Amino acid sequence: MSTPVTPPAETGAAGDLTSPEKRARTGPYRVVVVDDHAMFRSGVKAEIGRTVAVVGEAADAESAIKVILGTRPDVVLLDVHLPGGGGIEVLRKVHEVNPDQKFLALSVSDAAEDVIGVIRAGARGYVTKSISGAELVDAIRRVADGDAVFSPRLAGFVLDAFSGSIDLATVDEDLDRLSQREREVLRLIARGYAYKEVAKELFISIKTVETHVSSVLRKLQLSNRHQLTRWATDRRLV
Amino acid sequence: MSSTKSPHLATEAVTPEPVEQGEPREPVEQPVPFTEPEPVEGPEPRPRATRVAEGAMLGGVCTGLARHLGVPVMLIRAAFVALLIFQFLGVIAYGALWLLLPPEPATAAPGIEAASRNGLRDQSRPKRRVDWGMLVALIAFGGGLLWLVQSSGFGISQQLFWPVAFACAGAALVWRQADSDQQKKWRAEAGGRVWLAPFVARGGWPALVRVIVGLGLVGAAFGIVLAQEGHIDQLPEVMAMTTLALAGLAVVLAPWLHRSRTALNQARADKVRADARADMAAHLHDSVLQTLAMIQRQSDDPKAVQQLARRQERELRTWLYGEESPETTLKAALTGAAAEVEDERGVPIEVVMVGDCDTSDSVQALVKAAREAMVNAAKHSGAEQIDVYAEVDDEHIEVFVRDRGSGFDLDTVSDDRMGVKGSILDRMQRHGGKANIRSRPGEGTEVRLEIMR
Repeated sequence: MSTPVTPPAETGAAGDLTSPEKRARTGPYRVVVVDDHAMFRSGVKAEIGRTVAVVGEAADAESAIKVILGTRPDVVLLDVHLPGGGGIEVLRKVHEVNPDQKFLALSVSDAAEDVIGVIRAGARGYVTKSISGAELVDAIRRVADGDAVFSPRLAGFVLDAFSGSIDLATVDEDLDRLSQREREVLRLIARGYAYKEVAKELFISIKTVETHVSSVLRKLQLSNRHQLTRWATDRRLV
Repeated sequence: MSSTKSPHLATEAVTPEPVEQGEPREPVEQPVPFTEPEPVEGPEPRPRATRVAEGAMLGGVCTGLARHLGVPVMLIRAAFVALLIFQFLGVIAYGALWLLLPPEPATAAPGIEAASRNGLRDQSRPKRRVDWGMLVALIAFGGGLLWLVQSSGFGISQQLFWPVAFACAGAALVWRQADSDQQKKWRAEAGGRVWLAPFVARGGWPALVRVIVGLGLVGAAFGIVLAQEGHIDQLPEVMAMTTLALAGLAVVLAPWLHRSRTALNQARADKVRADARADMAAHLHDSVLQTLAMIQRQSDDPKAVQQLARRQERELRTWLYGEESPETTLKAALTGAAAEVEDERGVPIEVVMVGDCDTSDSVQALVKAAREAMVNAAKHSGAEQIDVYAEVDDEHIEVFVRDRGSGFDLDTVSDDRMGVKGSILDRMQRHGGKANIRSRPGEGTEVRLEIMR
């Protein structure tokens, strides 16, 4: 779990290997930690510093954007609540310049609309800050490899957001609904199953589980669904 | 809005329902871990009539009424427009409701509010799309009706019509300015001087233009009326006099306005300081200090420290970011049960819920069975964490309790282990549900509970 796995061959941008990417293939994953609590940053560094290389830190949105664009890490650990407009601001600004930058969101807040918000803004996963060091490294590896990381809680939010009360007439078949299989995968994740266990339970490969989760992520990000925004706004008022 | 589902409504109810009557065989009843079910009053309470800022065109009266009455908002708007035509009844009604209906209270959890205030979260809200088609239709409808009534001779006299129309439009502009989102905040800050706010506060040039145009329209209305009293050819003079009077009033009021503005700024600054203090209080909440003290005292017992930290985390999280769910829902009961087991046994329990429903006898039984499953997992499995997942859909409720602990062989469970048999399997059966235990030595345990709604 803690030994970094060499990422599979990149699909896009063949032949145009910038130096940071090259290093990622040989050395440990390069990570930037963005969080406004210095104590948390140093804690994370101490926990994961042996298996991944923490190449930068930032405490607010503005400096985070600078550091990320300057170092081009494999993964950015991004706090959802951040001075200067929150994690969403960082996601937007960085993706304007470098749309391939990968983010893993983490927070102590369980506010559904904020979590769904950063995912929709382009983060490839969400974990809570109480996650163990080993699990965090595993999540970083997954995100760096282009997969999505769903915690049980996020899976619950997504099932909630995509469930029930959809006006079938307004549904864009492709994007606005989860397939039966995707729903099954999400439910197992919400029940606390690790990807490996999900795969075993459904008699599919881990790669397939990852594909399903990535597809859910894509739907979450691309879906224009009215209800999704509506759901998020409603949450704010609960 | 959901904020109107006030939980205290339910607590007024008195007679608790009899719980689980058909249970004479229950050997040792666990101490009831959650509150008795209280019958909810009638069907879902209708939202109170408030003015709603979201989706408002003028004062949010129509949107609020529509929500209260449960009819489409366009219907109410059309009704007001229609009433307007006849002797301006609609305008009077609308104005009265604007004054009388309280603005919708907007509240969020303190953590969220503090985070918003300090710019830690994204503030841009999705832009409301104005339905231009509807708007144009409404205006055309109103205009047509007005023309019809006026030309048929049943309308009010031409002498009065334009002044009143001007005055209404002017007053609406000034009121709207005085009523916009920010003003609601200032209302709290500036105490009684609300009516001054549109003149005093900084709202940028659109606000200023709105107020000036509004006052101009009102002035024009007065001017026309005064001119009609005398001769129509005096109109320019009367208008000039009105303008002069307004200007004079402004000069006289200027120092006072200035003072009000200073007071308002002062009040605003005070409010900011008070907010900051409240945020601090949030962080240094009593219980946190308490927990820290206890952690220091028990620092040689890692298990106890973890338990304390975990409980504190849960408490703070609920307080800062939590959604307040009414006591009578499955969610509240299940998270409550999980929290109790967590405190008792010291094993973190993660609860994820999709959907929710009100409690009933069978839901209570489901929660009790789930609680028993959590206790078993915490007691026997040795797992570091327990995952609880509940899903409510139209037909049934499912609860999964899962651990990655030692697991066991179901066949070897002796009959005297009443926990599994009596409290889980039999209990579910009695309430027409199903319980399903999957476990193998070394692979953890998952208990699946299901009842129909």
